[in-house]
Amino acid sequence: MKAPKVDLKELEKIKEENFRDRLKFIDMYSRWIKKNPDKKWSSQQKDIID
Amino acid sequence: MKFLDKNTIKLDKELNELDKITIGFTARLNKAKIKYTIISGYVAVVFGRNRASEDVDIFIEKIDGRKFSDLWKELEKEFEYINSEDREEVFNDFLKAGSAVRFARKDRFIPNIEVKFPKTEIDVWGIKNRKKLILNNSEMFINPLESQIPFKLFLGSEKDIEDAKYLYNIFKDNLNMDLLEQFSRNLNIEASFRKYVK
Repeated sequence: MKAPKVDLKELEKIKEENFRDRLKFIDMYSRWIKKNPDKKWSSQQKDIID
Repeated sequence: MKFLDKNTIKLDKELNELDKITIGFTARLNKAKIKYTIISGYVAVVFGRNRASEDVDIFIEKIDGRKFSDLWKELEKEFEYINSEDREEVFNDFLKAGSAVRFARKDRFIPNIEVKFPKTEIDVWGIKNRKKLILNNSEMFINPLESQIPFKLFLGSEKDIEDAKYLYNIFKDNLNMDLLEQFSRNLNIEASFRKYVK
């Protein structure tokens, strides 16, 4: 079996795009946090962290 | 969450395990009258950033062996030092030598609390200018966000940049922008601030 060629520039570009997508998600998430009561978001956060 | 005044934030939330261990540990520091400031990831997590963290990082003011002994007696009611049971070794070979020491609840390894003495001017400034966080009915002290956000960018991993952006988004209406810009200049992260945060 032969491993496929790797285009490092392409992978770096995709990595940066994925990072940008996560930053956009943080924008959406922080807007949601500010609109909702602390008890509501923290209940969901507890499920993730615990 | 709301600002009661420019130095105090009040937050009532459903507590997760990281919140609970931090409340337990800082209550002991408060009782021992030791000045400290919580830094790094937990500052983002406590305000809602959704990510796991195995530890909570805290700078405590430089104290002598006698005061550390008092603190140790207080801490050992609930916590244990992960690598040693020898108080003098922990103080002299780790804390005083500039290394971090980690405390966890008895028979647990994570989450844990990483405690360090301040090393740089920025660390000392953080303790001096710490902000009070009233989490449910417990008081703890956190690093000012105006230094925390630029410092996260200075650290520069994707996780750190995400933390910085999150904190900025949540608190941008309450930040001292002049101070934030000073830290950004001093840490030379203005370009990444413009690129990722603003």
